[in-house]
Amino acid sequence: MFAAVLVASGVMVISSRNPVHSVLFLILAFFNAAGLFLLLGAEFLAMSLVIVYVGAVAVLFLFVVMMLDINTAELKDGILQYLPTGAVIGILLLVELVALFGSWGFAPDVEAIIQSQTPPIAQATNTEALGMLIYTKYVFLFQASGLILLVAMVGSILLTLRRREGVRHQKIADQVARTTETVKLHKVQTGRGI
Amino acid sequence: MITADLATVLPELLLALAGLGLLMFGVFHKGDATRVVSVLAILAFAAALLVMAKGDTQSITAFNGLFQVDRFTVFSKGLILLAAAFTTAMSVDFLEKEKIGRFEYPVLIVFSTLGMLTMVSAGDFLTLYMGLELQSLPLYVLAAYNRDNQRATEAGLKYFVLGALASGLLLYGISLVYGFAGTTQFSSLTLVLGATEGAAPSMGVIVGMVFILAGLAFKISAVPFHMWTPDVYEGAPTSVTAFFAVTPKIAAFTLLIRVLEGPFGQLGHQWQQVIVVIALLSMFVGSFGALGQNNIKRLLAYSSIGHVGFALVGLAAGTEMGIQGVLVYLAIYLFMNIGAFAIVMLMRRKGVAVEGVDDLAGLSKTHPALAYVMAGVMFSMAGIPPLAGFWGKFYVFMAAVQAGLWTLSIVGLLTSVVSAFYYLRVIKVMFMDEPKGEFDRHIGKPAKLVLVLSTAVIILFSIFPGPLLSSAKVAAQVLFPG
Amino acid sequence: MYIAVVFLPLLGSIIAGLFGRVIGDRASQVVTCTGLGLSALCAALIFQTVAIDGHSVTVPLLTWIKSGGLDVSWALRFDTLTAVMLIVVTFVSFMVHVYSIGYMSHDHSIPRFMSYLSLFTFAMLMLVTADNLVQMFFGWEGVGVASYLLIGFWYHKPSACAAAIKAFVVNRVGDFGFALGIFGTFFLFGTVGFDDIFAAAPSKAQTIVHFFGCDVNAITIVSLLLFVGAMGKSAQLGLHTWLPDAMEGPTPVSALIHAATMVTAGVFMVSRMSPLFEQSETALAVVTIIGAATAFFAATVGCVQNDIKRVIAYSTCSQLGYMFFAIGVSAYPAAIFHLFTHAFFKALLFLGAGSVIHAMSDEQDIRKMGGIGKHIKVTCALMWIGSLALAGIPPFAGHYSKDAILSAAWASGSTSGHIAFFLGMGAAFMTAFYSWRLLILVFHGKPRADDHVMGHVHESPLVMIIPLLVLAVGAVLSGAVGHDMFVGEENHEFWRAAIAILPDHTALASVEHVPDWVEHGPLVLAVSGIALAYLLYVVFPAVPSFLATNLRGLYLFALNKWYFDELYDFLFVRPAFKIGRGFWQGGDGALIDGVGPDGVAAAAKDIGRRVALLQSGYLYHYAFAMLIGIVAIVSWYAFMAH
Repeated sequence: MFAAVLVASGVMVISSRNPVHSVLFLILAFFNAAGLFLLLGAEFLAMSLVIVYVGAVAVLFLFVVMMLDINTAELKDGILQYLPTGAVIGILLLVELVALFGSWGFAPDVEAIIQSQTPPIAQATNTEALGMLIYTKYVFLFQASGLILLVAMVGSILLTLRRREGVRHQKIADQVARTTETVKLHKVQTGRGI
Repeated sequence: MITADLATVLPELLLALAGLGLLMFGVFHKGDATRVVSVLAILAFAAALLVMAKGDTQSITAFNGLFQVDRFTVFSKGLILLAAAFTTAMSVDFLEKEKIGRFEYPVLIVFSTLGMLTMVSAGDFLTLYMGLELQSLPLYVLAAYNRDNQRATEAGLKYFVLGALASGLLLYGISLVYGFAGTTQFSSLTLVLGATEGAAPSMGVIVGMVFILAGLAFKISAVPFHMWTPDVYEGAPTSVTAFFAVTPKIAAFTLLIRVLEGPFGQLGHQWQQVIVVIALLSMFVGSFGALGQNNIKRLLAYSSIGHVGFALVGLAAGTEMGIQGVLVYLAIYLFMNIGAFAIVMLMRRKGVAVEGVDDLAGLSKTHPALAYVMAGVMFSMAGIPPLAGFWGKFYVFMAAVQAGLWTLSIVGLLTSVVSAFYYLRVIKVMFMDEPKGEFDRHIGKPAKLVLVLSTAVIILFSIFPGPLLSSAKVAAQVLFPG
Repeated sequence: MYIAVVFLPLLGSIIAGLFGRVIGDRASQVVTCTGLGLSALCAALIFQTVAIDGHSVTVPLLTWIKSGGLDVSWALRFDTLTAVMLIVVTFVSFMVHVYSIGYMSHDHSIPRFMSYLSLFTFAMLMLVTADNLVQMFFGWEGVGVASYLLIGFWYHKPSACAAAIKAFVVNRVGDFGFALGIFGTFFLFGTVGFDDIFAAAPSKAQTIVHFFGCDVNAITIVSLLLFVGAMGKSAQLGLHTWLPDAMEGPTPVSALIHAATMVTAGVFMVSRMSPLFEQSETALAVVTIIGAATAFFAATVGCVQNDIKRVIAYSTCSQLGYMFFAIGVSAYPAAIFHLFTHAFFKALLFLGAGSVIHAMSDEQDIRKMGGIGKHIKVTCALMWIGSLALAGIPPFAGHYSKDAILSAAWASGSTSGHIAFFLGMGAAFMTAFYSWRLLILVFHGKPRADDHVMGHVHESPLVMIIPLLVLAVGAVLSGAVGHDMFVGEENHEFWRAAIAILPDHTALASVEHVPDWVEHGPLVLAVSGIALAYLLYVVFPAVPSFLATNLRGLYLFALNKWYFDELYDFLFVRPAFKIGRGFWQGGDGALIDGVGPDGVAAAAKDIGRRVALLQSGYLYHYAFAMLIGIVAIVSWYAFMAH
């Protein structure tokens, strides 16, 4: 059920005419994916998916989309022109992949290899198991992904941050550093003005 | 345990720390820090190179097989670091003249290079993916670096979207392979796939491999995954294009060799067909696409597609000699392209950069030295002996002939004749057309150094090919034990 | 001494090229000429040691490439074949250098010219002294580049640029064959060194390779590929179109490159690889047929050309054809002998033509010359000597070598040899005809140039005449002197290991036993060719123009009762003109140029435009292209691979 809804809402994300609807369907898709994770027994992943993607990312998307006010009709222009070839290619790929999964085979000793990767669920909770892997075996990858995020941040700042002249910034330090010497207090009488 | 692991990744560690340090330095430095940070970045590259050269050249794995170092990785890392250092050095002047110098530029290059080193050393598909992303993200940003230029932002966006698509393909391929074998580690994959030897390999693995191949082919801009190349090369600032044209290609190519000869070594028969087709198409598009181009950066973009095709010929051979040929080709490619781009960066008239082929007209009269260097580079790219470019082609075709790939080598030679046409056209324009007006005289020291060096390599390779050949041979031997 | 002979020209070239502006025109001339002179001296000494005394030498320089099974080293190989080539190259080149001092005296970039000339000579010497195929390829490409530079020397002339590019491109086609031939050799023998290849050649004679679905003899394939390379460089039928166009270069260049040295590189290469070619009857037959066809074809075309240099160029083409069919019937010594004598008289003719052009204020059209023999007597006499040698009149040099070739072709006894013999005889006749047509039109009869030009006709300076005289001595004597040495009874003593001929290839050995008519036929034909030219252009000078222009002339001519001549004309001249025209315009221009270089270039441009059109700039097109690629590859595996 989760999977079916997931795919359906995925299709809707692409085909819906209104971007706001698209984002809402995206959120639905995330929820269903989280549901799938739960069924697999990966509670931590399910929760983080809901919190991070639904709670933060998708809501941010929603705001952006609503603020930008994109004209929906324009984007759909010319879709018919590419539909035939697109459809042929897509169907071909689909058929191939279905055929592929239909005849899926595993390597002979695949179970033994998978077993050795994670500690048994009985011994550790989901979160614990993840942590143990990430901070020991995969620490290198963990650090690398940290760097990737840092680069992404630097990049987005580089591309968007502009120092405009004439913009008034709030100088908090100066404000805090103000003392009574630099401030003159006036007693203003009601109804008078200075 | 952890100390030994860290010692293995010392060059990478050094670059990572350098990148972070430089970022902090740039933020807190008053005024424009581009120049200082660039110099420091080059020093960091040099230091990493030094550390690597000093290090153990035996084959080592670290972090439970996620990371591996051997002579093959050392060879290609050396090339990558050299290329990164050169392009950084060249870009300082260029950025200042274009007035787009910002300290993030060298920092991003450092991180991207770090990503390349990581992917070259990958011992696992996860590491591969992490390295790939770490190198790609800064590249996306750098392509759009000149954010007030519409072409540059367009280039950045195109590269980003297509790059994301390629990454998606790659991940999908990895997951297919994982689904079959239950592991992403190269060494165990080799064992698993080796166990099924004799029987027809599973379709799932082959399709997965195709997807992985496509993701990597995008990075080296092989046809039909090349479409971004001309647009991005043209749109991005020239210094960035120079970096694009050389470094990531070396890294991705090394990775391609590693993946195909390592875990998928048993499927040699399968991937060879794909590589042959891709090589044919790349050589074809590379040589014919450039014929009508008038923008020199676009021309070089097509030329790089063609070069990738030629290098793939060596890979298609799949023999030790073929791989050696590819490595030699990449090294020569590095020097030729750096030389060419150094000149393109110097093409500016009254402070404005120009990029047309016909802007080079009469260069032999206004700047004879530049014209001769460019002619050398072009002759070399066209593969005219005795310049280095000829030898690059010579080795890969030799390997292909030995592997019995006659059609491939014949088509290759024919397309190289076609491509000779547009290289010669550049020379003709420089030497035989009337000058259009002088370029600005000023040539910075780094640019001079790079030009001299690349010319020297192009010419001297035919006389002293020994060092490069033997190190490439040693590197290639790693992949073919016994 | 061995190293000096090769590297002195390089030294001269570097000095003149890099420091030419500093040291001035005169110094560059002196430097390059001295270099070449010393080099020629060394060559003579080497000839003495190597060829006469019989001490073959190999001088190793350094190891070049060592990778896997491939081991290439720089080494200079001196045996008889090399020694002969050394003499030819250095000697003619030296003469051309000296001649250029006079010929180019009005040019603005003398140091550049001298530097190119020396560079070319260096590359050529590298080619002939090569010890392995790769080194030879280096020299081979080197002469290609140098000739490109020299043909395009007057780069402000668009036609010169076009000719330079054409020469380069056509040669690349040949080089491509040569490169594949080298790959094939390496594939077959696992080495590129000559000694090893030759040693292994007999054992591989029956090797079969699987190629494009059919089984073929490996040696045949390799030999034919190498021959394609030779065809390009030596302007054989099909790849010859660049040679006439290359006449756009300065005349000394034509003499050096397109007569005496570079175009003979193909002949040299095939002779050098004789142990390989000997193993393949098919390859030899192909060489014979192509050579003979070229000899005949170029001679017919030569009859109708009007540009003085083009006539000589087609004649070169034709003579190269002779050399190749001599090779084809295993008469390598005869081929080299002809190469040797040809170098002298052809260089003489070219330089003489240069002298004429010089005298005629840069006029090259022979229809606008005439009657200048009186004014430039020396040049005229020298051109006569050159033509006599070319036509093969005894005792001039060409007689000996051409007779040797034709007799060998007959004596070979094979069908292809006999075809070659008859085509060669026809060509010999036409050679004489067009040579005298040229002489008569240029030097004799009434002046057809205007008075202004005629007033300026003057003899060339001494610096140009002396080389001509020296070459003329060669053209007179080289045949008689060299005959016994090259192709006489004792020629094995002379060539030793430099050339290999299988024992059952007896063409050359049985030359002495050919019938009388074979032996004297060429001479008779040559004389009758001369007579025909004399009749047509001196006795009845109006005839050719009538014939060429209108039928009314033909009618009037018939009324004049010169029935014999008319028959002659009807049977021979007109068809020859027609065939010549046909080959020239139809075969050469439309077919070969149209389908070949021009057609390919146009097609390439068209494809280029289409490929560029794919680049629409739309992101989704690009993404789509990637997906299509993926799907195509996956489908390939899904449906085809099983």
